Amino acid sequence: MTHCTMDQLIALRDGEGSPWGRQHVAECAHCGGELDALHQRVAGLRALPPRHASRDRWPAVRTLLAVERRAARRRRLMRWSGLAAAAVAAGLLLGRSLGPAVTPAYAADLAEAKEASAALEEQLATWEGPGRVMSGREAAIAAELEDRIAVIDGALPEVSQEAQLLELWQQRVELMRQLYTVRVTRAAYVAF
Amino acid sequence: MTLSLAVPDILVARAKAGDEEALEALFRAFETPVYNLARRMLRSSEDAEDVLQETFLEVVRSIGAYRGDGALWGWVRRIAASKALMRIRREQIRTTEELLEESTGRSGPPVGLTLDLERAFESLSETSRAVVWLHDVEGYTHEEIAEMMGKTASFSKSQLSRAHARLRRLLGSEGEGRSP
Repeated sequence: MTHCTMDQLIALRDGEGSPWGRQHVAECAHCGGELDALHQRVAGLRALPPRHASRDRWPAVRTLLAVERRAARRRRLMRWSGLAAAAVAAGLLLGRSLGPAVTPAYAADLAEAKEASAALEEQLATWEGPGRVMSGREAAIAAELEDRIAVIDGALPEVSQEAQLLELWQQRVELMRQLYTVRVTRAAYVAF
Repeated sequence: MTLSLAVPDILVARAKAGDEEALEALFRAFETPVYNLARRMLRSSEDAEDVLQETFLEVVRSIGAYRGDGALWGWVRRIAASKALMRIRREQIRTTEELLEESTGRSGPPVGLTLDLERAFESLSETSRAVVWLHDVEGYTHEEIAEMMGKTASFSKSQLSRAHARLRRLLGSEGEGRSP
């Protein structure tokens, strides 16, 4: 005797069974029993008690939202900084000097700092995949670092002294390194 | 777990306006059902908590787009299910699990040993768990599940059938004594 397959039983349960299947389960005690068991399993699953998270995730959600809002504000600020930098560049084109030219000794250090900064930016962009979940504390530290980097980025176009320029770029590299540490290792502590 | 979670319209309106107390109230209202859904689909409690977090970040970011056409819980549940399925897909656990299930005794208790339903369910692969839970408990159609999983409806049906066959074997004696 041919019995119903699980596919056929599920189709019957879902009201999509074939005429043969419907007739068979009505006549076959074995398949009728299997269909009852299927109903009982599903009823049992629906009756399972709810599971509860062991930790409260709201503080992390709230922190991450605050971080996002700050980042949005920062982006707006950066757009204004960009406009300011463009204005300064326009001044240069019109023949105004912003300050002394960068000497070769500083130029090498400056290029090195810019290169290191770009490399860290690239590594961070590569590493951060979708669905990355950070704790609230990690997010807060990362936000603090991003804020400090943004302050430097805002100041860079305004600086004309080569020593200050180099110092700012080197600070930026150090902050980027710390940000990378937080992002990649999920370190909960970074010494500012 | 079938739920009918009604949320006052005024609370939704406040949440849309960015009121943090309202957003937390929504989180509290849906925290357990979202976690439960994710936990039933995923093996790890840590992953389920991450899905809870990701879901509410998405809810807060997108609540302005929620038009109130259906129950808020249905909208939140869809986000949670998608996040859990994305996690299953992203980590490519399915292939490994299927291999494990087919190997001897590494993915759970040996077939034939009578288990309680919850333990038997938890011994299924995450993909199978997801399909069983979404279809049989949450009431999604195979087409809806397929869309969320990026698979076909046939895949969903096949997973459901295999999962029930395995549950039946794991639950052992439930069908015995009914043979003609």
